[in-house]
Amino acid sequence: MMYAYITRRLLMLIPVLFGVSIFIFVMMRVVPGDVAMTILGTDATPESLAQLRKEFGLNLPLHQQYLNWMGGVLSGDFGESMRSGQAVLPDILSRFTITFELTLLSALISWIIAIPMGIIAAIRHNTKTDFSVRMVSLLGVSVPNFAMATVLILVLALFFSYSPPVGYIGFFEDPLRNLQILILPSLVLGTGMAGAVMRMTRSSVLEILRQDFIRTIRAKGARERVIIFDHALRNAMIPILTIIGMQVGTLLGGAVIIEQIFSLPGLGQLVLTAITQRDFTVVQGSVLFIAFVFVMINLLVDVLYSYLDPRINYK
Amino acid sequence: MNSILEIKNLSIDLVDGRKTYPVVNDINLSIKKKQRYGIVGESGSGKSLTSLAIMNLLADSLKITRGSIVLDGKHELTKMKKKELRKVRGHDISMIFQEPMTALDPLYPIEHQILEVLRFHFTFSKKQMRDMAVEMLKKVGISRPEQIMKNYPHQLSGGMRQRVMIAMALICSPKLLIADEPTTALDVTIQAQILDLMNELTEDFDTSILMITHDLGVIVEMCERVAVMYAGEIVEETTVAKLFSNPAHPYTSGLLRSVQSLGNRTQSLYSIPGTVPTPKQQTAGCRFASRCPHVMPVCNSSPPFLEIGNDHSTKCWLYAKEGVVNA
Repeated sequence: MMYAYITRRLLMLIPVLFGVSIFIFVMMRVVPGDVAMTILGTDATPESLAQLRKEFGLNLPLHQQYLNWMGGVLSGDFGESMRSGQAVLPDILSRFTITFELTLLSALISWIIAIPMGIIAAIRHNTKTDFSVRMVSLLGVSVPNFAMATVLILVLALFFSYSPPVGYIGFFEDPLRNLQILILPSLVLGTGMAGAVMRMTRSSVLEILRQDFIRTIRAKGARERVIIFDHALRNAMIPILTIIGMQVGTLLGGAVIIEQIFSLPGLGQLVLTAITQRDFTVVQGSVLFIAFVFVMINLLVDVLYSYLDPRINYK
Repeated sequence: MNSILEIKNLSIDLVDGRKTYPVVNDINLSIKKKQRYGIVGESGSGKSLTSLAIMNLLADSLKITRGSIVLDGKHELTKMKKKELRKVRGHDISMIFQEPMTALDPLYPIEHQILEVLRFHFTFSKKQMRDMAVEMLKKVGISRPEQIMKNYPHQLSGGMRQRVMIAMALICSPKLLIADEPTTALDVTIQAQILDLMNELTEDFDTSILMITHDLGVIVEMCERVAVMYAGEIVEETTVAKLFSNPAHPYTSGLLRSVQSLGNRTQSLYSIPGTVPTPKQQTAGCRFASRCPHVMPVCNSSPPFLEIGNDHSTKCWLYAKEGVVNA
């Protein structure tokens, strides 16, 4: 039953990705300027521009261009970068591993902070503890990542004479150095995410703790630990999971600003550079890939819902 | 004494910011071994709060300000440490609630929820606990216990869920079962079945019952003794037979008059004029005075709780001797 559901959801990917592909294709053609202009610069003659456009096939009618691109994508060939000539898909994948690692680490950090704090705030609600947790989470939600990142770098540099290593190294090449590179950006992203998760955990657990069945469990002689973790938290998990899914899905599309500040060659940076250079194939390929990842995360969250709550049953 | 539960001078306050309002005032009652004791009253009379106070399950905004609750003649429940209280809950005293829909955790199968009670109080093997649970489910009249154990609460009907609640409540053979409106949310036909079941099982388990209800019919069906509560106070306390044959307090008489009787359907149903005062509206004196047909000047001061006959007490000036009134 579950497999049938997953299969159906995967089939629904087709129209979604089709829509996204048309949208991004049109968007790239609508914005002023094209790759030939960015390569040749402002001094280019009309002839050399036309020559270069012909090379990239940009002189063809729009539908022809789209079909050429799509034909390649469907056979697994996302084309080459118009700027560097590198194959697009391998480039996306190698940058995605960085983004993926960054997301995973940030998410872990945010959960470690947010879920226990949220639970504590709910248990001690309307006390000083609750009040401080709410203040901190409000800060987490409202302080922009770039400000947080800048302050973090400055404080570390000025007071601890520490500056994070530059240049990315894969986890399997040098795990320690890899973590050193990723820990600061992850901290910034993680604390940012933690605010929202904390607020959701607090309100969700608080609501569950007021339910009748919690009173039943207490009346059965349960320890607080059992009440909180086995019953309250598990029941409160659905809205928390929803917000976590959104955060992770968004972050997997690349954290443009943070990647820029910490010079991480992630997916966000790839897309940003490609857009400024009007590198059509790279932008189109990356957006399609990001949409695919987002849909997959959503599917994963929906599957987790039914695992958490027996009342949610997909047919 | 062979009292299972002895409540003395219990008062509960509602704390709202810096203000406090009394919601339960000076309750006294004593439940004997194997006795079935009923508390009857409208919503807001404080009957549920009294029952929750016994298990110390009151919400944070409600505080026991005075009085004692003694279990089995030796354990003072209001002053118990959390750890000791956990041993009492579910083991010595257990509870059934009004809404079987929301009283079970929706995310766990029935088996987990029944076994939990055993796990909290004993160290049996999983196999033993399963066998006990199956046995108990059979006793509450569930015909396919193995099947039901695997089900989740949302897959069961209201009556089935209440049977599961009863099984859970009685599996540790408690000394006292507190049933807070156990049949209110159920169909009428199911109500009778559940009451019969409770009657039967508490007999088998030597369990006393404290029945909290607004339904005089349930009291007749189930209880031997009864306390009538109004606006946070007990206004009359006696045996069920005496209460029905010879109600003393004007509120009790009003309650009895507002019950529909089968033989007399031509008249419209009687209702007591006015509403129960909220804790914030309460004034000095008798709390029923504003709705009472026999109201007298003396009702402006709080009436004493008087013994008016053999095993029959009420809180009303009508029964005060001359001397008492003037005092």
